[in-house]
Order: sequence, then C-alpha cells, then structure tokens
Amino acid sequence: MTPELVEGVAWKSAAAGALALAFGGAPLGVLLIARRMSLIGDAMSHGILPGAAIAYLLAGPDPIALTLGALTAGFVVAGLSSLLAQTRRLPEDASFAVFYLSALALGVLILGRGARPEALHDMLFGAATALDAHALVLAAVAATATLLAVALFIRGFLAESADPVFMRASGLPGGLLHLILMVLVALNLVAGFRAFGALMTVGLMMIPAAASRFWARGYAGQAGAAALISALASGGGLLLAGRLGVEPGAVMTLCAAALFGVSALFGINRGLLQSLPGRAHLKG
Amino acid sequence: MSAVRLHDLTLGYERRPAVHHLDGAFSTSRLTAVVGPNGSGKSTLLKGVAGALPPLAGRIELNGFKHRDIAYLPQDNGVDKQFPITLEDLVALGFWRRRGLFGGLTRSDRARLREAMAAVGLEGFESRAIGSVSGGQLQRALFARVLLQDAGLILLDEPFTALDARTTSDLIDLIQRWPREGRTVIMVLHDLDVVRQLCGDTLLLAREKVAWGPTGEALAPENLLVARRLSEAWSDDPQVCHRHDDDHPAHDEAEHRH
Repeated sequence: MTPELVEGVAWKSAAAGALALAFGGAPLGVLLIARRMSLIGDAMSHGILPGAAIAYLLAGPDPIALTLGALTAGFVVAGLSSLLAQTRRLPEDASFAVFYLSALALGVLILGRGARPEALHDMLFGAATALDAHALVLAAVAATATLLAVALFIRGFLAESADPVFMRASGLPGGLLHLILMVLVALNLVAGFRAFGALMTVGLMMIPAAASRFWARGYAGQAGAAALISALASGGGLLLAGRLGVEPGAVMTLCAAALFGVSALFGINRGLLQSLPGRAHLKG
Repeated sequence: MSAVRLHDLTLGYERRPAVHHLDGAFSTSRLTAVVGPNGSGKSTLLKGVAGALPPLAGRIELNGFKHRDIAYLPQDNGVDKQFPITLEDLVALGFWRRRGLFGGLTRSDRARLREAMAAVGLEGFESRAIGSVSGGQLQRALFARVLLQDAGLILLDEPFTALDARTTSDLIDLIQRWPREGRTVIMVLHDLDVVRQLCGDTLLLAREKVAWGPTGEALAPENLLVARRLSEAWSDDPQVCHRHDDDHPAHDEAEHRH
C-alpha cells in the first residue's frame, strides 16, 4: 500500500480523511475524558467488530458492506449499553464492558469461522489503501454530524456530566444525550476503522484529548487544542509512515503520544514544568 | 394550608422500608425541620418528596407543584468537581427548567445570575473552576442555584454539614427569607439549636413519625427519648410491619406515647 502513499494520490485522501477524523473525534474525546469514560472508545472499537465480521462473511471485503455492518453493530452496542446504564444497576463503564466483550468474542468467532486471518488484523489496525471515496465521504459525514451535534447539545452534555443528580431532577433527557454521545463515538470509529484501524482511531480520539487538558481549562479550549493536536499528529504520522513505508495508523497514534509528552511537560495548564517546586511563590 | 401531604407513606430501597406509614402535612410558606437519629429515614423522606424515590406504599400529594418544580439539594451533592466548568456555569444550571436544552441566557438572566452569586457572597468567583473552590464555596454556589430555580418548594438535606460558622450563618440568613417570599422549605438538620432558631415546625422521625408539629413541642425531651429508644432497637434485618393503630398515634397525640 505504501507506494500509493508515496505517490501522493492516496496520501492526499488519507490526509483529508485523517483531518476530518481529527475534528470529529477531538471534541468527543474531550467529553469522554471529562466524564471519566476514557476507555469507552476502546470498548466501542471492539464492539463494532462483529458487525464488520458478519458483513465480511456475507459480502466479502466490500467497503460499503463492511461500513454498514460496523455501523449497525456500533449502534446496537451504543443502544444496549445506554439502556443498561439508565437502569443505574451497574456503573456506566461496567455495563459497557459486558456488551463490548461479548461483541468482541462474537466477532472473533465469526471471523475465525470463515475469513482469512489478516481480516481481523486489518480491522483492528487498519490498511490505508482502504481510504477510498466512500471512506472519505463517511469521514466527512462523521465530522460534520459530530460538530453539529456537539454545537447543539453541548450545554446538555456538560450539565449532565457535571451534575447528573441535579439534571435528572430537572428533567434533562440524560439517557437520550448518553445515546447521542455513544452513537457519535461509533460513527467516528467506523469512519476511521478501515483505514487506520479501530484501535488506532480511538488513539487519535483519546490521546489528543488527554493532551489538551494541559493547554486549557474549559471545554471549548480543550476541544480546540485536542483538534489541533490530533490534526498535527495525523499529518505528521502520515508523512512519517510514507517515508518509512509502514501502515500510518500506528505512526499517527505514536505521534499523538509524542505530542502528549510535549503537552504534559510544557503545557500552560498544570504542565509538569509549571509545577516545579517554588516556581510561583519565589517569584520576585 | 399544606404544600405537601403524606398519606400513609412508606419509602424504602429494594423493598426494605426505611420510613413507615407517615401521615401528615408540611405547611405552606413554613420552614419545617426533619430531625432524627442516623438511619431514621430523613434523607429517604426528602428523596421521596423530591420524586427521586417512588413510594413502596401510600402516596405523596403535592399541592400546586410538580416534582420538576422542586429545588432539591441532596446531602451528597453529586457534583463532579473534576469536570471542566466554572462556578458560574454550575449556578446557571438553575435556569435549566425555564431555558431548556437549547435556550440561551437572556440579558436579565445574566443579571439575575450575578445577583444570585452576590447574594451568596461569591462575587469575583464567577470564572473559577468548580474543582478549585472550597467545599463551603461550592455549597454557596449550590444555594445560588436554588435561588435561580425560583422554586415554591425547597428541600435541603443537611445543608450545613462541614461548613464553617460564617458560611452557615450567611446561608441561614438566606433561608430565613424564603418563607416570607411564600416558599415552603423542608430541611434535614442535626443541630437542634439551629432547628429551634430557624424552623417553626419540626418532624421528629425514627423510621416512623415520633412527633410532628411546632418545634418547641415536637422536640420535647420525652419525644427525643422515644426517638433514641426506637433507634437503639433497629437491626439490619428486613423490617416487617406490624401495624397497630395505637403504636402510630397522630402527631398531636405524640406526647401520650408512653
């Protein structure tokens, strides 16, 4: 796949796709981290597997079928876990764990029965050649839908996360917001999973979001910083991957990790260098 | 006139009753204290009135309110202090019922928001992150939010726990104004001196009603003794109700209990 990357055509579409995912994923990642749901993306990325696997068995490596299958599975996992979380019998992440682990097992079983072994590998870690026109459109749709939904519902998301007890008493449709958030996560992961792999797409969603906490205090600042970091990591990762002749998903994630390191050290909001002993009160 | 009337109300968790067979009424535009030993069902009662816990038996009659119109400040406030929002954002949630999911704040809302924060002594703290303020300041902010909710019925569950004397007295000043504004206040309290100073009526609770009426009568020594004896007899086993009418006198007969 790498010759195309170097030749430039696929490189351009990979860059466009990654950029769209950066702008869609970053605001979601910041919300998930603020809600202490950092691992939900991870869980969801496993959850979409059986859908993709069933589609693979039925239609072969057809991109539209794979995407639709993954999307269906993502929405089912999102819906079921939201439903179980609403009963408040289990912590949110525990109810998620039940569904995604079951879904993962189902996916492994289905792929093991009929697919070539690389299929599972490709789905988890990606193949940049998969970034065709369909995938680009889906990435653009995911980013647009995410930004629109975040703009519309951000007050509800923030209120429900900061003070769930109060908001439930005030009649906020918390369950609906939870479902919207989960569906958006699923949509972004499905948009990225074929090119960059389900797990690596989560990396680009969560690592920049974690890094953004070192740059801003409020949600808007963090979301902006996360989008920027994610875009930088994607661009840099694609360039490096092209040079090295490897799959870009992992390189992009590692670039994000490097930027996380830089942020943790030099960030202006509680970066490590800022908290060197005596810095503030010995001034002047 | 009563704001809230309880009809043979039993509340509990997982079918284990925590409060039994309560009958009585909270008067409109009054401050009523709910007092009793630990585990006597005070918080459970407030949760029930707030609509957060459906009755196991009996019913709660709200006179002119819906559950959503009640301002309820639970003991464990449930605020995620790590969450990246400011104190002002937290207080502004008080507008939620009126502005909803999409409505923005109007100019007069903003003015009221500033007034409410000033009323609880939080001028200058508007843009502080909720994680960077003290417990007392957070509680002040939650009171400011109650002000914005403009509720006819206000439920406060141990609102002064872990607060210093100055914060407590500031908040007491605020609460004392509410009945004059026509608001009904029901608050769980431990400090009987505060109860006597602040509340006209008291419900003394020990999983059942021990006394309910004017604070001076309800907190008579013999009633407090009954509440303590009842609490000493509690066990963790599921309770079975043996209801005899003479065991559950109306609150005006409470003094004849023993």
